[in-house]
Amino acid sequence: MKPIDVTRLKEIVGERNVKTDPSDLYVYGSDSSVHHAMPWAIVKPETTQQVQEIMKYANGNGIPVIARGGGSGMCGQTVPIQGGIMLDMKAMNKILEINLKDVYCRVEPGVVDDDLNLALKQYGVFYPPTPASSRIATIGGEIANNASGVRSVKYGATRDAVLGMKVVLPNGDLVTLGSHTRVEASGYQLHKLIVGSEGTLGIVVEATLSFVPIPEFRCMGVANFDALKDAGEAIGSIMASGSIPSMLELVDSVAIKAVNKTMDLGLKEVAAALIFEADGMVKEAVDYEIDKMKKICEKHNGKDIHASYDPKERAKIFMGRKKLFPALSKYDDNLASTSLADDMAVPYSKMAELAGKVHEVADRHNIVMTAYGHCGSGCMHTKILMDTKRKDQWDAAKKAITEIYEYVRSVNGTTSAEHGIGLSKAESFKVEKADSLNLLAGIKKAFDPNNILNPGKLSQAPEDWVTATNLRYSVNS
Amino acid sequence: MENKIKEFKNLEKWQGTLASCIRCGYCFEHCPMFKHTGWESDAPRAKIITAFGLITGEVEPSESAADKMFSCFYCKRCEAACSSGVPLTEIFTDARKDLVEMGLEGPGTTSITKLNCARCLICVGACPHEARNYDGKGIATDPAKCQACGICLEVCPAGAAKIENNFGTGRDELIEKASNFLNTHESSKAIIFACNWSYFPELQASVLPDSETRDNNYEILVNMCGGRLEPYLLMAPFLHNAWGVMAAVCPDDDCQHNGNLRAKKIVETLRNTFKSIDIDPERIQLVQIPAGDKSLFQAEIDTFVDKLNNMGPIR
Repeated sequence: MKPIDVTRLKEIVGERNVKTDPSDLYVYGSDSSVHHAMPWAIVKPETTQQVQEIMKYANGNGIPVIARGGGSGMCGQTVPIQGGIMLDMKAMNKILEINLKDVYCRVEPGVVDDDLNLALKQYGVFYPPTPASSRIATIGGEIANNASGVRSVKYGATRDAVLGMKVVLPNGDLVTLGSHTRVEASGYQLHKLIVGSEGTLGIVVEATLSFVPIPEFRCMGVANFDALKDAGEAIGSIMASGSIPSMLELVDSVAIKAVNKTMDLGLKEVAAALIFEADGMVKEAVDYEIDKMKKICEKHNGKDIHASYDPKERAKIFMGRKKLFPALSKYDDNLASTSLADDMAVPYSKMAELAGKVHEVADRHNIVMTAYGHCGSGCMHTKILMDTKRKDQWDAAKKAITEIYEYVRSVNGTTSAEHGIGLSKAESFKVEKADSLNLLAGIKKAFDPNNILNPGKLSQAPEDWVTATNLRYSVNS
Repeated sequence: MENKIKEFKNLEKWQGTLASCIRCGYCFEHCPMFKHTGWESDAPRAKIITAFGLITGEVEPSESAADKMFSCFYCKRCEAACSSGVPLTEIFTDARKDLVEMGLEGPGTTSITKLNCARCLICVGACPHEARNYDGKGIATDPAKCQACGICLEVCPAGAAKIENNFGTGRDELIEKASNFLNTHESSKAIIFACNWSYFPELQASVLPDSETRDNNYEILVNMCGGRLEPYLLMAPFLHNAWGVMAAVCPDDDCQHNGNLRAKKIVETLRNTFKSIDIDPERIQLVQIPAGDKSLFQAEIDTFVDKLNNMGPIR
């Protein structure tokens, strides 16, 4: 640990915006991932100028800086494995402008996703990336991870919605990237590069985001399947048919059981279910999409297919899906839900095979895994439910995800679809991107020559997360 | 990580549950403390992380760690929102019991008794959590039992019962917030005091541009349990030209502190006072909102504001 000048930090942001008590540091040492490490100080800037001053100080003294939003990251992106200053961005929380004429809004990075949508709703528009954690996830965090969610199948991910941004570089310089226009062909479009960079290139202090109209009609359907393979094939067929669902979600038997146990949604306990939705301004167009998806589900042995425009029914299912991640810890009293290999993506035609692979690998390694996710976007979530005290379960989990990632890469899939790499997925990420790691290192060096921004992440992350980083769980030897 | 410390005999049984908290943080948006301070270390998830650290020995049982555990209004909104089914406040209580045995008590949100206590013992009888008792010298509060509902503050005739750390929900803080709103918004008409159960989460931690808020005609202020509403607090907005005040509390059988019934009596008394001085009693209202019924709450507010628009300002 390097000596840190707390007095200087307090001079910059004020006494009330710095914390160094070990009990606070411990809390800020973890997020929603399996990892934990202690920062040296927590600093909460309120202005861009303060962020600049902090960066100048940190850069001059070689102190790591880790920007943090809601702390809802699932792969350890904000876990400070090399210590340093935890930059809590939640006080930069102003929605600066809602510009209906030019169809954009400007926000500070600490604005919560759901808050932004609440503010936009009255104008009949919404900001679509919306991950399941949107109730606490900040726009800054979503940009850092290129977050996406259930509606990304139709409306895209964060990168598609970001028009421009202001970024503080490690040396304290403030740069304006992108523009306020829908399209741009002026050079490298560095704002798109910042999206998904996990806090390793710069600190976003303002973002310009596009929004879209809230559709007049939304219809949501559920189709049950006795075989996971059939549900997986139905997804591929729907997407290949030219359908444009606004949501296409797979939930397997493990996920159904967990959600029913927690929220009593009354989903049928079958091998798998598809939740599909279409939206639009014209009801007939929505009906057309829904009918098309229903028929494809039927063709793939879908049963009890039901669709509804009823907002209450839709809201119940939607909320069930949003709360699925925490609900998985209710699947079995002795098993905790862990995020490890949790958001890979594969081409549509491989979705069924991947879902089957997840269950087959889990059975072989004697652990419980679930396959669910935004399969319309090609994204599969695979939480591992295990007794976190047992080292043998961690070892089995490690073997299982290694096998699953090998499969994902073999079919030209990708390690992460929406949660990012952080620490948990570095091993597969490095194999997947082996021939471009040098390029990534060069980009990092161009932005951050002293390597102070979130060091030890992405391509710098240790490959074996079980042994190289502290787990937040208490594991018996 | 290895288990090092086994002294947390009440807390220890929760070790498995603490591991099953997936730390999603969905409890943040409901926590009045997090909303007030903006520090994650004041949110419910932080207490769960701290409890875990205490058991494993990674967190020293220090005054500051204890203060986190003793700072909670027990509104239990976090618990209701937790899809992992973690009984947060039960865990906090067990952590408190262990910390008390180690001589660590907060101050947190525990109610205390000032020297001007007349020892009338009204608070002892009124405390719904049996946290207050007479120890032969004075009134003592059991910090493991106190849920900071504030009933003792409301019933104490001497003003000796106090909660030092109110996280924005104390009487003076609420009066300041109300007067700030009324004095800075030309269209302002009403202040809505809501217990944290009746309240629905609006913006969690973000700030709207001025253009979005300058025409607001009401402000919702969370006062925690309705039992903490005092006549002085309810009347204060009228000194800053409010047209009306509404109090939102839980339905009759739903309040865990019985504070709603107390609030009903206070509002009824104030309405009678209004009548006696020829002010329309409808300017002060109490509504009972089941937890999370956002639609009903909003409908009640809209109706109230419409009513005030018809009445106009107090002359």
